[in-house]
Amino acid sequence: MNALLRLASVETKLFFREKQAVFWTFLFPVLMIWLFGAMFGNQKIEGFSYSDAYIPSWVAVQLLTTSLFTLGTTLTGYRESGVLRRFQATPLRPWVVLVAHIAYGLIVFIMSAAVVFIFGTLAFHLNAPKHLTSTILAMALSVCALFPFGLLLTSLARNTRTAAAVSSLVLNLMLFLSGATFPLAFMPKFLQGVARALPLYYVIDLLRQTWNVSPITSHMTDVAVLAGLCVVSSVLAARFFRWSSEV
Amino acid sequence: MNMAIVVNGLRKSYKDKAAVKGVSFSVARGEIFGIVGPNGAGKTTTLEILEGLRERSAGEVSVLGFDPKKDGRSLRQRIGIQFQSTSIQERLKVSEALDLFASFYERKGDRAGLIETLGLGQYMNTPFSKLSGGWKQRLTLALAALHAPDILFLDEPSTGLDPQARRDIWALIQQFRAQGMTVVLTTHYMEEAERLCDRVAMFREGAIAALDTPKRLVSQFAVAKCLTFTSAEAELSVISALPSVERAHRDGDAVWVYAPDLQEISRHLFAVAHERHWTVEAFRFEVGSLDDLFVNLSQEGETA
Repeated sequence: MNALLRLASVETKLFFREKQAVFWTFLFPVLMIWLFGAMFGNQKIEGFSYSDAYIPSWVAVQLLTTSLFTLGTTLTGYRESGVLRRFQATPLRPWVVLVAHIAYGLIVFIMSAAVVFIFGTLAFHLNAPKHLTSTILAMALSVCALFPFGLLLTSLARNTRTAAAVSSLVLNLMLFLSGATFPLAFMPKFLQGVARALPLYYVIDLLRQTWNVSPITSHMTDVAVLAGLCVVSSVLAARFFRWSSEV
Repeated sequence: MNMAIVVNGLRKSYKDKAAVKGVSFSVARGEIFGIVGPNGAGKTTTLEILEGLRERSAGEVSVLGFDPKKDGRSLRQRIGIQFQSTSIQERLKVSEALDLFASFYERKGDRAGLIETLGLGQYMNTPFSKLSGGWKQRLTLALAALHAPDILFLDEPSTGLDPQARRDIWALIQQFRAQGMTVVLTTHYMEEAERLCDRVAMFREGAIAALDTPKRLVSQFAVAKCLTFTSAEAELSVISALPSVERAHRDGDAVWVYAPDLQEISRHLFAVAHERHWTVEAFRFEVGSLDDLFVNLSQEGETA
């Protein structure tokens, strides 16, 4: 337990020592919200105002980028530079490393979500979540689904360059096809089908709905998909965890 | 004797290549045991099998009574490991690294004493990436010894260090042993093995070519007896003609003379030098060293 807390707090501290990374992690979503806000203006999107539709979805995107870039890149870098190998030489267990990194990702995510929320409220009259408990539960479930998913994807990559390439591909694919940036209604039927195959679609739907419409209990499909993803990717991330990049 | 490590018939093969081919040895508690040999001789592989970081293909291994293959995690509570080149998180400060690694172990060692011994106090707030090679090595040594392990495994602890830093590391290793730790180290500095180790195993192509105390290894495998001196005037033809000289050769002003009885040949040599007015300087008997033995064994391996 002590090791878990130490590791999580050390990683969080190290993240904040990387000034540039901190700057972009927190500024990027704000920039995007501002840009898209300028594009959409006062249009209604699927019946919601811009901020009510898009700020929850940017929170979802923020979750995915934290998972792929903050967590995945750190761990792949550690694998490549031998930090994990050094950990392997101690009694430390793989799941402690994974959970510690998830905890550190969670801290970074909560802070960036807060930044997005404050910016949305000040600049775009964002309404507070209608079903606050449901929204928090939805976020927690999404963290449990996307963080192990990101760790799994990047642990399959051989080095940081491959990990970065895989992450960018996944992020861009989901960014454009899961309704995070362009409303799905604009898209042809088959692309809407593709969207339903992407995890981010369910995260966005669940966050938007609990934020604006109805409690989490009315969205059991989203819940089931994300819970399934959580279990499968956690098991696989632990199973395919590697201490070093050599085969 | 109470054994810390017992290895019997250890083998390790990768897909098409055998890295370790039937190695047996044991290490007593409190001993400093050296594993030397050229690159690719199987030193690191053997070490990693003992640490439970690599699975063996065959043979028996017992470290502190544990089988590293089965009880790797319990074993690693009681051993300390330093890799050839360790990297920890670049921006991690020395004090944070010590706290982090201490949290991984059940047993707590004497943190303050260790910092004092290693002289790390002045660098407690320095990030790992800003430390010089010697200080990085000291820190990773501290991380290995932090939980007062029963055995310290050090893989080339002084490679890449300047002579002073290397001597400092040797003193530290001796201090750890004085505190009761058993030390197993690999090196390819023969001087290190001679100065530091109680016994040395010479690895060659995945097998042990020789195993004994450094002194006995040298005398047992002693190279032909020889003396050396420098002289501008000395003539090889004259020296070679002296009684019982096996051979002589020179390189610039340096001359080597091989003979079974060095004392006998010295008397003849100085007599001739006196007669012919040669200046003889830097005269000494070559006693042989692990270095010679190492080179001999390596060459034997190539010609065999």
